[in-house]
Amino acid sequence: MGSDESYNFVFKVVLIGESGVGKSNLLSRFTKNEFNRDSRTTIGVEFSTRTVQLDNYAIKAQIWDTAGLERYRAITSAYYRGAVGALLVYDISKHLTYESVDRWLKELFDHADPHIVVMLVGNKKDLDTLRTVPTEEAKDFAEKRGLMFMETSALDSTNVENAFSEVLKAIHKKVASREVTRGSICAVTLSNPTSEAQEGRRNCCKSS
Amino acid sequence: MATIEQGNGLDLRSCTDKLTDNGKGSSHASDPEVNGDPGETQVDKYGFTGGAQQHTGKFAEEIPIEVLRQREAKWLEMLNSWDKWMAKKHKKVKERCQKGIPPSLRGRAWLYLTGGKVRREQNQGKFQELDSQSGDPKWIDIIERDLHRQFPFHEMFAARGGHGQQDLLRVLKAYTLHRPEEGYCQAQAPIAAVLLMHMPAEDAFWVLVQICEKYLPGYYSTGLEAIQLDGEILYALLRRVSPVAHRHLKKHKLEPILYMTEWYMCAFSRTLPWASVLRVWDMFLCEGVKILFRVGLVLLKCMLGSQEKLKACQGLYETMELLRAIQPQYMQEVFLVHEIIELVVSEKDIEKEHHAQLRRWKETHGDLHCKSPPRMHGAKAIMTAEPPSRQDLRQRPTIIVESPLAPKTVGKREEDAKESGKTEEEKQKKSIPLPQETVIPYRPPTDPSPLLKHLTVQGSKESLSSADHDTYL
Repeated sequence: MGSDESYNFVFKVVLIGESGVGKSNLLSRFTKNEFNRDSRTTIGVEFSTRTVQLDNYAIKAQIWDTAGLERYRAITSAYYRGAVGALLVYDISKHLTYESVDRWLKELFDHADPHIVVMLVGNKKDLDTLRTVPTEEAKDFAEKRGLMFMETSALDSTNVENAFSEVLKAIHKKVASREVTRGSICAVTLSNPTSEAQEGRRNCCKSS
Repeated sequence: MATIEQGNGLDLRSCTDKLTDNGKGSSHASDPEVNGDPGETQVDKYGFTGGAQQHTGKFAEEIPIEVLRQREAKWLEMLNSWDKWMAKKHKKVKERCQKGIPPSLRGRAWLYLTGGKVRREQNQGKFQELDSQSGDPKWIDIIERDLHRQFPFHEMFAARGGHGQQDLLRVLKAYTLHRPEEGYCQAQAPIAAVLLMHMPAEDAFWVLVQICEKYLPGYYSTGLEAIQLDGEILYALLRRVSPVAHRHLKKHKLEPILYMTEWYMCAFSRTLPWASVLRVWDMFLCEGVKILFRVGLVLLKCMLGSQEKLKACQGLYETMELLRAIQPQYMQEVFLVHEIIELVVSEKDIEKEHHAQLRRWKETHGDLHCKSPPRMHGAKAIMTAEPPSRQDLRQRPTIIVESPLAPKTVGKREEDAKESGKTEEEKQKKSIPLPQETVIPYRPPTDPSPLLKHLTVQGSKESLSSADHDTYL
């Protein structure tokens, strides 16, 4: 799982998408390697962390999860604050959940950092026989919108590691290349990369 | 995430058909005995087979059986002349709620406290009408996705397509038909589930209506403005109750909505150990939302109220983690109830802060989109606002037990006594229960069997499953 003892960066990543698509199980699969068919409806905010190694850096991923239902959209600004990555999740067996992706993107760009890294995630890949969203179609859509794309299954673990790792890598790349200016992605203390490696464990999420 | 268990003994591979199940599983497949090994699951006295809220037996407040029996008798008396008790002896009612409603009467007491009983009587046939409709497919779809996600470790709701989940659907669907402009909000499901653990679907529906309309108006509506406002009120009240905690939250910019949403929207039913949930609800349904505020304040004070405790809590995220894992001793029944009763936070305090926060809100957000009616602060307020008739409060049990001790004429005598407004003394003299009660007369626990031989249960043609007017004693 990776040690939580010391890390160089903290990246806040949010899970968004319709109710029931599997956000909570993606969270638990990635951070605890657990899956529960009857996990409770998310009300309010859930979160968990996991530290991963990327190149020579220890990245603490702080994953946030919230209710997908429409009316919870009203309480999201606190949720998005300081997020540097987002996994926009839909259920490959429920086309309706894919149709609302545009609405989610709009919300993302209304509330979140403009430089946020976004991955479109088609979850429940294990339900391939019940698929209603063709992979190619979603992949094309993602490309057009400048989003990363992956299909996952929180149930059998397919691509869960990959999805999160790719997002974290992309965030790291943006941070390292100084594509963002200091303060714009505020979860990360931006300074000289070499000095960061020595900073150790004080990089809390300093949300403004 | 709060406890994630590895499933309830299910082999996932053998249940692939259930993965696409929209909660309409066939009854045989949803039999919990089929799914798990019955020998292994231990059900606690509240019905939990696992999970964080399962009763561990530690630090539980065990009421001696004689005391419980006495309390039951008192409650039966109160319920029989509810309007009088609420009008003239409300303080006593409140005290008894604070002590904890006897489990056997909890469902009925909640029904009366919330005014659900009155709503039901004044709207006879309404629930059946709503129940018979198919409902808006949009809401049904969302509700069905949630049926297996409420208290999955409770035996009532564990089985997919089981009676518990079916009743949950009925109650939530009925609500969306009753208030189509509001529809369904996910937090209503745990509320409805708690109610269903204590009363049949129709009663649960009316209590849910009362909670959503009177106790927590606007909580479940679009925009969730009411909950956000209450979050600000909680934070403001915290300043007086625990300046240390208040300062810490301010410093780390931890907005109330990030920690109190689940607490309040589910009335702490997903946060506290079950014994405490029930005690809190007993008080909440009697005294109103101020109880929820007191619980929130107590928890915040306990977890963040001293420099010592804040040492481990260096940032927003760490603070959230701390509040997500409240230490068991602070949630324990006896401790928590005591703290709630002692905390001086009144309706006035809340209303005052409400006005202040509403003013602030309007400055930053403009007018409220969703104008809810003002909330009622508990059972007495509800009753005063809409005084019920005697008829509305009459108990109507469906299982009548012929008491061998009470001749039929006594019932009539007592009925007359009540009508002529006799004093409490008269009431206390009767040691036998009223015939309209479905009470098996109490005998000392040492000698139950001779009594049972004399009982003739008058046939109730109702099935034992969730019938409309069952009294769940």
